[in-house]
Amino acid sequence: MEQTRAGEYDAFVAARWSVLFHLARLLTGGDRHRAEDLLQESLVKLWFVWPKVADEAPEAYVRKVLARAAARSARRRWWGERPVEQLPEVVAAGDMSATVAERSRLEAALAQLTPQQRAAVVLRYYQDLPDRQVAETLGCPVGTARSHAARGVARLRRLLADVIEPVG
Amino acid sequence: MDHFERQLTQLMQQDRQPAPFEARHREALRAGVRARRRVRAARRTAGSVLAVAGLGLGLFLWPHGHTGDRPTAPPRPMTSPGPTPSSTPSPSPSRSTSTPPSAPSFTPSDTAPPDPASTTSAPPATTGGPATATHEPASATATATARDHSTTPPATTPVSTPAEPSDEPSSVVSPSG
Repeated sequence: MEQTRAGEYDAFVAARWSVLFHLARLLTGGDRHRAEDLLQESLVKLWFVWPKVADEAPEAYVRKVLARAAARSARRRWWGERPVEQLPEVVAAGDMSATVAERSRLEAALAQLTPQQRAAVVLRYYQDLPDRQVAETLGCPVGTARSHAARGVARLRRLLADVIEPVG
Repeated sequence: MDHFERQLTQLMQQDRQPAPFEARHREALRAGVRARRRVRAARRTAGSVLAVAGLGLGLFLWPHGHTGDRPTAPPRPMTSPGPTPSSTPSPSPSRSTSTPPSAPSFTPSDTAPPDPASTTSAPPATTGGPATATHEPASATATATARDHSTTPPATTPVSTPAEPSDEPSSVVSPSG
């Protein structure tokens, strides 16, 4: 029984790790280490409820845990800086492809949003969830979720004005 | 959804980096599951200990005797405001020679119905003999007993006067003296 449960769980994690890690990375504003920690924490929680959610929607459960933890993270801990042994790679103009540059700009812009705004924007535009489902995932009223998403998009519009060209 | 929002959606979904699930991730997951399991067990143990301690404390502080929740005295079916036995003036032997002994202590309400036979057979103790004097405290005691058991007639009906106001026994006393 335990072996079967562990096998199914491992198969799910191995299959969905990349997608969930990308979601966690967007939710954390591009912080790779924090995204790994967040995903590990969510998957550990998934292990204890696996018999209940395995047949339904384990990915939706992980998404909910991830989004709520990311939206809550600013109140729990300050993730702004952490000491490292080596300096991270600095962005140098000209030696990166355009895609990587856009990704870096996007993550940098997402990092400037509040955690609630970031979670709402990611769920709304990356996961393509309707407002009602975003609110249900974040555990807040629909109006609040819509407001977070609208304010987040408005701020991204200013920050990414030179990356995403306006139509005209 | 306007142009910027469509571009934002496309940008979010296209720049996905490949992130394989490695062995270190699996090990970290196992370690996390074990740690969380230990935390859960410790929390459950602490909760059980707290519950048992609270239960024990509650049982320890629970009152053990039966006197705590019992009223101090049963309610008395007292209906008449008669004098209590302690406050009943027991006439002294010297006074009993001139007055009927228990006449002041009885009100019409707490005496038994007047027994015509006893009233006529035993005249009031106005002889002044020592027998009357020894008889009067007994009558007072019997009256007190009879008041507690309100259905029992008093045992001192020979010396008690009929249920009449206090001026009635004086007319009875006067012929004998």
